[in-house]
Amino acid sequence: MNVPIWLVRREFWENRAIWMIPAVIGGFMVLIALFGRVDLMSIPSQVPIQAVGGGFLLAVGATFFAVMSIYSTWYLLDCLYADRKDRSVLFWKSMPISDTTTVLSKLATALILIPAVYFAAADLTTLIMAFIVSVRSSSSVDGALWHADLWLQLQALWLYMIATTALWYLPIAAYLLVVSAWAKRAVMLWSLLPPLTLVLAERWFLDSHVVASAIGERLMGYPAQAFRYDPGCCGWVTTIVDNDTITTPTSIWGFFNVGGFISSTETWIGVAVGAALVVCAIQLRTRRTEI
Amino acid sequence: MSALIEARDLTKKYGAHVALDRANFSVEAGRIVGLIGPNGAGKTTALRAILGLTAYEGQLNVLGHEPFRGRTALMHDACFIADVAVLPAWLRVDHAIDFVAGVHPRFRRDRALGLLAKAGITGERRMRELSKGMKTQVHLALTMAIDAKLLVLDEPTLGLDILARRAFYDALVNDYMDETRTILITTHQVEEVENLLTDVLFIDKGRIVLDSSLDDIATRYAAVAVAADNLDAARAEKPFHERSMLGKVVLYYEHPNLDRLAALGEVHALSVADLFVAKLSGGAE
Repeated sequence: MNVPIWLVRREFWENRAIWMIPAVIGGFMVLIALFGRVDLMSIPSQVPIQAVGGGFLLAVGATFFAVMSIYSTWYLLDCLYADRKDRSVLFWKSMPISDTTTVLSKLATALILIPAVYFAAADLTTLIMAFIVSVRSSSSVDGALWHADLWLQLQALWLYMIATTALWYLPIAAYLLVVSAWAKRAVMLWSLLPPLTLVLAERWFLDSHVVASAIGERLMGYPAQAFRYDPGCCGWVTTIVDNDTITTPTSIWGFFNVGGFISSTETWIGVAVGAALVVCAIQLRTRRTEI
Repeated sequence: MSALIEARDLTKKYGAHVALDRANFSVEAGRIVGLIGPNGAGKTTALRAILGLTAYEGQLNVLGHEPFRGRTALMHDACFIADVAVLPAWLRVDHAIDFVAGVHPRFRRDRALGLLAKAGITGERRMRELSKGMKTQVHLALTMAIDAKLLVLDEPTLGLDILARRAFYDALVNDYMDETRTILITTHQVEEVENLLTDVLFIDKGRIVLDSSLDDIATRYAAVAVAADNLDAARAEKPFHERSMLGKVVLYYEHPNLDRLAALGEVHALSVADLFVAKLSGGAE
């Protein structure tokens, strides 16, 4: 009996966009690599070759990551609501599967499986693009793109980001699940209303902005918590191009702020709030069967 | 024999509206029980409570479980179709079978495939491509392939044509029902299930107004059709309901004196539908 695995498969059956969207983005990028202008030579030769390759890989990765953030938000808002809207919740609840398992399977899909799919898609896309660019341009580019250490770093970056974003954004994800389990309609609107009301009420009555800054910090504060920006540290190279000093990293290992993230109070406050909201979502799932 | 379902003072309120009002009933193992009531009587609420889909007040025990807290464990031994056409539009027939086979230890895949083959529904089609009747049949095949002790059906044949309805009830009685199973069924079509039920529960305004086996109904109730000149004598026998029909008056009796009634007119047994209408439209005028 592998109930969680079947529940995840069910998520992939229902939400084919989980793999279709990254497939389309990847396909589009490959088209650009095939027919676009390859002009790596205009980059000053003084810039370390790893930084050029790394920049390219990061740009591709960041595109996938941005789309994934939007899709995951939509997925979390929809996943518990859709079952109630089409009444199929009555079928799912006729199976010997607890509401806890159901809610956790959706959470795991959003925080781990969808990122993993995008991770795989980004990897595949960058591989194909690097191959195409190498074939189309001079061999000097090869050093920039086919760099084993660079690829290893990219994998590490993705895995680190999946782990840390899952923890950091747990309260947001759990909040979206609560709305999805609760709302009778217009989940998107309902997800915005409570935080907006709180922010405005606080501003109006107390003339303060504790809620607003807490929400802002949670949404925007991730990079500052999980990464460190320390140009003086290892792996940075300073080059001078036309009298400009350019400092570029040649390695990303120095960016990971593992210890800082793990020991941050903010991380664990978020996890605690997230866990409480997950419990809340499970309770709502148990009690609210239909719309 | 111990009761499979035991409800004591089962109550459910939605704000000021009382959907179930201290309802008491029990369902014994091996029975086919019809839960019958008009719209808004509390049928669906009662079923939802029995299946653990809603919280309630009072005591309820289903297969040894408190349904709301123990729904997961209960669903190993009970299965239900709480409404027709609830399989999601995106679900493929073969995926639905794989899923239930994957998560339900009592599911028999060969049985589900057999039922689907009989209905002429195959493999990779999605629910959105199927008609309402076919969707219902997929759901029924999935549910009937589960070896459950208790099967709960809420209006199972809604949207099916007469042939499919008849086929469904035949399958239910001949292929599915045996002494290890119990079926609780609600339907508007009382006449259709009358012949397969062993017991009926009448529910009205959240209360159980009749809890009886069909055998009891046959011996306990009778109707007599009398002409106008015998009406006063017939009324003296204390009927609980009467209706006019084709120039005669039909009077319904509980614990009738059949000898005296036979002298007044033509005596016949009460059907469940007759009894239902009589019980729910009030006493004799």
